[in-house]
Amino acid sequence: MKKIHFTRRNYVQLASVAVILLIAVLMFIVGRQHTVLLDNKTVEHEGKTYTAFSIVTVEVDREGELELAARDRDKAEVMGQRHKITVVYTDRSFEEHTLVKKFKVPIGQDMVLLSIPALVGEADESVWLQPFFPPTAAVAPQAEVLPTEDVLAVDITF
Amino acid sequence: MSELRETRKEKILSILEKNSVPILFTVFCALGIPLSGYSYGYLGQEIVVRIARNSFLIIALLVPIMAGMGLNFGMTLGAMAGQIGLIFIADWGIVGIPGMILAMIISTPISAFLGWLCGKILNMAKGREMVTSYIIGFFINGVYQLIVLYGMGSVIPIKNPALVLPRGYGIRNTVNLISIRKVLDNLLAIKIFGISIPVATLLVIAALCFFIIWFRKTKLGQDMRAVGQDLEVARAAGIKVEHTRIVSVVLSTILAGYGMIVYLQNIGTLNTYNSHMQIGMFSIAALLVGGATVNRASIGNVFLGVSLFHLMFIVSPTAGKNLIGEAQLGEYFRVFVSYGVITIALVLYEVRKRRDLTRAGRLLAQDQADEVEAKQ
Repeated sequence: MKKIHFTRRNYVQLASVAVILLIAVLMFIVGRQHTVLLDNKTVEHEGKTYTAFSIVTVEVDREGELELAARDRDKAEVMGQRHKITVVYTDRSFEEHTLVKKFKVPIGQDMVLLSIPALVGEADESVWLQPFFPPTAAVAPQAEVLPTEDVLAVDITF
Repeated sequence: MSELRETRKEKILSILEKNSVPILFTVFCALGIPLSGYSYGYLGQEIVVRIARNSFLIIALLVPIMAGMGLNFGMTLGAMAGQIGLIFIADWGIVGIPGMILAMIISTPISAFLGWLCGKILNMAKGREMVTSYIIGFFINGVYQLIVLYGMGSVIPIKNPALVLPRGYGIRNTVNLISIRKVLDNLLAIKIFGISIPVATLLVIAALCFFIIWFRKTKLGQDMRAVGQDLEVARAAGIKVEHTRIVSVVLSTILAGYGMIVYLQNIGTLNTYNSHMQIGMFSIAALLVGGATVNRASIGNVFLGVSLFHLMFIVSPTAGKNLIGEAQLGEYFRVFVSYGVITIALVLYEVRKRRDLTRAGRLLAQDQADEVEAKQ
């Protein structure tokens, strides 16, 4: 069998390909977009009730503050896996508190549901951060015109 | 050899002839701007946007010209590869600058393969590179449609329902690129005199310009120039002519792929089946408007060409409407001009080639006459 001889040039080429692949993986992880649904609803878990706040201010990373009333749900679109949530709330004695918590979104998860009352109530992460799958609409898909020769001949905006 | 003795009139005519296309467009624009009624601020903003959007694509054309392969109509191959990269990142939900970089990485091997294929075929069609690359563009477009319209969603997994046609396979006519829209343009955007300057995009273009300048000085760049001047002389000098030509097309195709990604991040929408179709035509027209020819093009031609060609694109519909009352006429005019300018440039190239031969003959005759005179 013929032996394959690797020259220095081949090693450099292989290393370059490896570096590019590594960058691609890094970009995939860093650039993956996730939707974090911020939920301010009362949650019950194992007999414990986490009551919704009458008003709460939430900020995920630096995406801008969101104000949620009781039973409100809003969303924040974030990039990457590791995030920081800042919750500003008022307790029953009208004292303002700020809670900062870091969390990680699984790479394959498009949407997660984050329960603010459970987060502030120091519940387990599996309670306040859950995967969310948007319900699929039960309507017939609208037919889309397939591209034809005419469509392909249309000028583009330049 | 001495210089050809010419009258002043001949010299002026020669300069005018060399720069006829840019002069013609400058006159068109000078007439069109007052007729359109657009403010200089608006026109300045539009020109800056279009320079940032299109320059990368046009610079991709410089390498094959350097290697004497003419205008690379096959740059649409790279554009298709770039679009495939963008479809994948849209499906995987990769956003922002990382999304752009990932799309570029995905497009690179596809562009390289298509460029290599194109280069191989062009080596079999020496002397007819432009028309061959134009037809290769159509051929690969068919393959692209087959993959995107039938392969994606069935063989190639695409899970995002917003991308897939309702029948379950094939990509929709329009792909929303909102996740990468203007991410590069807005990265370091600054405002000067009310005009928004996309500094990051211009820096990327500047980096490409420096790369081209550096590349010309490398061994490979010198080889390309030698091949571009004379194939047989280059071969006799020990240069691998065929390999050098293939490398030039591969490089151009890869750069065209990147250029398409930069272009589409500015637009923000991908027309899956026609975004790439006329990109080659418009880029080549813009380069020719800048004063480039089939065998000579510089970075200066790129920027002058983008500015003049797009200035005419912006003013012609409104100018047409104000002048004749028909905006549609302006639309037709700009399509007519883009095809027309390529025709004029190709005709002028042939005329110039013949005139250069005549000049060389005249110069030889002049030298011989001088020699005879000196002996007497």
